[in-house]
Amino acid sequence: MWYRYWLHHINADRVAQVLSIPLFLLLWQWVSASGVVSSRLFPPPTEVISAFGRWYDSGQFWGDVQVSLTRVGIGFFFGSVIGILVGILTGRVRLAANLLSPIFGLLRPIPPIAFVPLVILWFGLSETGKYFLVFWGVFFVVWMSAHHGVRKVDPLYIRVAQCLGTPRSKMLTNILLPGAIPYIIVGLRTAVSISFYTLVAAEIAGTFSGIFYRIDVSQQNMQIGQAMAGLLVLGVISLIADRLFYYLSRRVDWSAS
Amino acid sequence: MKEKLQTKGHITADSVSIVFDSVGKRNVAVDDASVDIQPGEFVCILGPSGCGKSTLLNAIAGFVQPTQGELTLDGRTIKSPGPDRGMVFQQHSLLPWKTVLQNVAFGPLMNNTGQREADSVARTFLNLVGLGAFESHYPRQLSGGMQQRVGIARALANYPNVLLMDEPFGALDAQTRAIMQENLLNIWEEFKTTVVFVTHDIDEAVFLSDRVVVMSASPGTIIADIKIDLPRPRDALIVTSPEFLDLKRQCLDIIREETTKAFALQNAS
Repeated sequence: MWYRYWLHHINADRVAQVLSIPLFLLLWQWVSASGVVSSRLFPPPTEVISAFGRWYDSGQFWGDVQVSLTRVGIGFFFGSVIGILVGILTGRVRLAANLLSPIFGLLRPIPPIAFVPLVILWFGLSETGKYFLVFWGVFFVVWMSAHHGVRKVDPLYIRVAQCLGTPRSKMLTNILLPGAIPYIIVGLRTAVSISFYTLVAAEIAGTFSGIFYRIDVSQQNMQIGQAMAGLLVLGVISLIADRLFYYLSRRVDWSAS
Repeated sequence: MKEKLQTKGHITADSVSIVFDSVGKRNVAVDDASVDIQPGEFVCILGPSGCGKSTLLNAIAGFVQPTQGELTLDGRTIKSPGPDRGMVFQQHSLLPWKTVLQNVAFGPLMNNTGQREADSVARTFLNLVGLGAFESHYPRQLSGGMQQRVGIARALANYPNVLLMDEPFGALDAQTRAIMQENLLNIWEEFKTTVVFVTHDIDEAVFLSDRVVVMSASPGTIIADIKIDLPRPRDALIVTSPEFLDLKRQCLDIIREETTKAFALQNAS
């Protein structure tokens, strides 16, 4: 038969991967339309798409995305820069590690969302409070990766540098920091996802725009389709950010083959 | 430059003992070792694994301090590592985030040489080890033998008075190792730096050196100092000559005697 040849060359893994999302959408559509669940509370994908269209046409969509990305961006930037600097400090200076590690150990497990009530008191409705929450989520994980990273640099590299006459003042930038890069990158990538989790906490209260704010408002107005569209947008943006970071980090991560 | 280098690189070890204290257990790595290495001399330290030969080398490099006795380089006590002693490590010592050229230029750069000058020095030494064409490769893209050649170029790029080599060819296959040994001798003939070369391979020690210093295990003591008066330049064929075999037998006899003694001691205890 003529199609035997094609059947033989079709990769079953690939087919399953390509069909995955369409099948999911079909199932969703079917469940929603079948009346098993209330289609008002659980609208089908078609309704979610048209809700997204209304959101987009209202002119609020790009504004929401921009506001949310700014919060994530600024919080992530300061959280990572300060996290790396403090991590290097505690990783290399024993006194700093002994002083700071217990404090960080105490503060780190507090979920950022638990800070929301206080943040509103401290910072009011200003953006600073939002940046602070994202910063809080990002800082600890980046600090830990830098702290362990500079400690785990192969001692052989330090010997090599000493042998070649590297002064102590140049050891940090030439050996410790590049040596810790693979660890720091893992921390930063985790922090990218965390910054989107904390964005949700930041937009729970005290704001008038943003992707999660839109989800929250839609829920109150029973616009479930738009709330679901908001969730998907959040998922897609977070995914793009993760992929983008991965792609960019490969340029500086010498341990990536 | 040749003249200058030949007068420098004089190493002396005067009753050097190195003791490590680990969890209440005293471990004597080097016991009362004395040796005098002349400028421009090629000396191999030969001994079984764990005999303290690498520890002695690390002490000359300045990574560990003698517990007793004194180590000097050109009359001055060795206190810390420095660019006057280039070191070639066993393996995987190239900085993986730097290219081949950056690895070799790193030493000069750290010693206040400008980038352009450092790169030019690095290219000179890369050409010397025959890897000029690989300057923009990363270490992981090179074979083990090529990595060690870069390691030698890197150590030489600081124009050290002493070259310290810690079993640099130990991880290479036999054919590559033989070629590397010949290359190393050619380079040494050109620069006449003092070389202290640690190995457990008798053929390698006899083939390369002016003198073989034999160490025995636990505690690490120097048990023989054998002059190798084979003519230079040497090539690979010399290993079949009666003189070579005779010297090799001398080393073997001493090592076998020591090993038997050590085994007898272990059985008795």
